[in-house]
Amino acid sequence: MIAAIVPAAGRSERMGRPKLILPIGGVSVIARVTTALREGGADPVIVVVSPAWVPGAAALAAEAARAGGSVVVAPQPPPDMRASVELGLDRLAQVPAPSPATFLLAPGDCPGIDAPLVARVIARAVAEPLAIIIPQARGRRGHPVALPWPLAAEIRTLPGDVGINHLVARHAAQVVSIEVDDPVMLDDLDTPEDYRRWSSAALDEGGPENDHEDDHREERIVRVTVRLFAMARQQAGRAAVDLDVPEPATVANVKRALAVACPELARLVPQLMIAIDADYVRDEERPIPPGAEVAAIPPVSGGWHHERARSAP
Amino acid sequence: MIEITEAPIDHAALTERVRSNLAGAVCTFLGTVRELTAQRRTARLEYEAYPEMALKKMTELEAEARRHWPIIEIALVHRVGRLDLGEVSVVVAVSCPHRQQAFEACQWLIDTLKEVVPIWKKEVWADGGEEWVHPGIEPPPR
Repeated sequence: MIAAIVPAAGRSERMGRPKLILPIGGVSVIARVTTALREGGADPVIVVVSPAWVPGAAALAAEAARAGGSVVVAPQPPPDMRASVELGLDRLAQVPAPSPATFLLAPGDCPGIDAPLVARVIARAVAEPLAIIIPQARGRRGHPVALPWPLAAEIRTLPGDVGINHLVARHAAQVVSIEVDDPVMLDDLDTPEDYRRWSSAALDEGGPENDHEDDHREERIVRVTVRLFAMARQQAGRAAVDLDVPEPATVANVKRALAVACPELARLVPQLMIAIDADYVRDEERPIPPGAEVAAIPPVSGGWHHERARSAP
Repeated sequence: MIEITEAPIDHAALTERVRSNLAGAVCTFLGTVRELTAQRRTARLEYEAYPEMALKKMTELEAEARRHWPIIEIALVHRVGRLDLGEVSVVVAVSCPHRQQAFEACQWLIDTLKEVVPIWKKEVWADGGEEWVHPGIEPPPR
C-alpha cells in the first residue's frame, strides 16, 4: 500500500479566492486530485487542510473526504507546504502498519494529475523503492513525486527556511524521471489566468462546466441525529439524540458534541465507535455526509478494540 | 440464512437446514446463557442489537467466509431480548465438503461475529445487580 500526502492548506494568494474548491469540468480541483490518486492506487490519500475558520477550508475538507481522502486538519494554518507535509507524515506514522517503503507527494493544486500517471509513478516506485520518482515533460518537473520513506525522516531535519525541493536536490543521484507526453499535465493552478485555461480545457474535453460549488461557504451548524445503544442508551435515557455540530461535522466533532449534550456519557464517549450508514468509521476527521445514519457503538462483547484482522486466514 | 430474532432459536432446524448431499461435514456452534461468571450468579441476560447494522455486518461475514472456505450452506442467527439460563443466544451452522473447513469457518464466524456485529448483552445478576458487558469499560461501582 502506498500512501499519498496532499498538502492543501495553501492560502491561494495569487488566485484571490480558495482555489482548491474551484470546479474544473464540474468537479472541484481537490476532488479531482484526490480521486486520481485513489484510482491510481494510492491508499490512504491524506489531505492536509487548514482549520475550519479559514475561509473555504471546511468546504475543502468536505470535498476531499467525499472524494475518499483521509483529512488531516492542521491546528493552525501551516506556514508553508513543508509544514503541511510534516502533518501528513504524522498521520501516516499513526497508521498501524509496517512503515511504507515509499510515499507519494502531490500538492492539491495540480489538476492535471490523472489516475494513469499516478499508477505509473507507483509502479516505478515499487520497482525502485530507493529512488525519488518524478514525472517530467520536456525537462519540466511535476507531480506526484514518489519519495522513499527514509527521506520522510529527513524532511524534519531540513533547515527552517528550505522546502522539500532542497531534499530532492540533496539526493539528486536518486532521482528517476518518468517522461510525460503532455506538459500541460504538469501545470499547476496559481492564478485566475491558470484557472481560465484549465476550465476551458475541461470544456474542450466535453466536461460540462457545472458550477454548483459555493466558493464562499459560511461556517454552518449541522443537525446530526445519533442513535444510541446498550450502556450509552441506558445512561442517556434515550435511544437517539439530536446534536448541533459545527461544520465540518466530523466524527470527532460529533463525539465532542455528544459529550456536551449528554454529560452522563462523557466517560463513555472516548470508547464509542461511530458508525456511518451501518459501517464503522475509524477516521475521526471524516465528515459525516448529509442525511447519513449515525450511530454510537459501545464496544461489543467480543471487543472491537482488540479486534483481530477482519479478513479470514 | 441470516436472522436476528426475539423468538427462541430452533438450532436443530438450523443444522438440518444447512445439511446437503454436497457436504461431508456440518459444524454447528451454539452460544448459551451461562449461570456462573467468576463466582457471580447470573439470573438472565438481555441482548440488544442495532439491527440494521448487525444484519449488514453478518451478511459481510458470510460473504467473507465464503471467499475463504468452500461453504455450501450457512446459517447465522442471533437472538435478542430477554434470555433465561441455558437458552441459546446465537447459532452458527456451516456445511462444507470436509470437516477441517467446517470447523475453521465456524470458529472464524463466531469469533468475528462477536467482535464486529453490534449486539450487546446485559448481565442481570441473581443478586439484583445489572451490567452491560462492554470490554474495556469498567462497570460503575455496585
